[in-house]
Amino acid sequence: MILEVLSIGLLISACLALFVDDPTYSVAALSATFLFTALLYSADGALYAAIFQFAVGVGTLAILFLSGQMLSNKTASTTSPQKIGALIGAGVVLSLPAIFLSGASSTGAFSDASFGDALWNLNGLDVVLQALVILTVALGIAIILYERKSGGK
Amino acid sequence: MDFVALSLAMLAIGIFGLLTNRQLLKVFISIELIATGATLNFVMLASSSGQGLGQALLVLAFSTDTALSAVILALLVIVTKKYGTSNINEILKMYSEKDNEAEA
Repeated sequence: MILEVLSIGLLISACLALFVDDPTYSVAALSATFLFTALLYSADGALYAAIFQFAVGVGTLAILFLSGQMLSNKTASTTSPQKIGALIGAGVVLSLPAIFLSGASSTGAFSDASFGDALWNLNGLDVVLQALVILTVALGIAIILYERKSGGK
Repeated sequence: MDFVALSLAMLAIGIFGLLTNRQLLKVFISIELIATGATLNFVMLASSSGQGLGQALLVLAFSTDTALSAVILALLVIVTKKYGTSNINEILKMYSEKDNEAEA
């Protein structure tokens, strides 16, 4: 029952995040989407995934709130209650197939590796390479912002 | 409960938002929703099979997703500051006007 409620909440908040006019409310709805996703992972037993989703979500949202304020038009725009009701209805309708269709069952085709084994023994090289990619991206963004600040001199 | 249908619904919402919204912030939110749908599918299937491998791969997917978000947000801020608007149609119009002036 809890999974069904969380999936309905997830889809309603996703609809609201996209189609509410005010950027601040839109980002708030996206934060609800991330929270529902983390709770869904947690309810299904994927605790590490839930923690990572929550941590990444908080970081993304902190930046998004700032940029949402910066990028939004100054004119106040409000969404009508009818539109909000329609979005909630669309979220509920979209969640019906997920609730009433039968779920995927375990096949047992793969080995049952623990999280630590899977991360460091099976994917150790991937982790190191991803760290290098993220370091490169961070350096690239820092260089772009620095060049913009110094006027490309 | 079918998680494939749930992640398909998330994907559909994201793609619909990507096609219909003209604000850069909404486009970014659409991309986030598509990424969330993909990782949701991945984790739920791996979790229902009782494996840690899916969660480990999710950590890698998150790092890629975060790097992608950082790049998109940096570009978004630069474009909005340069053109003074976050509407894609207006940005394209200004860009084509500037292009025509350069040709003339």
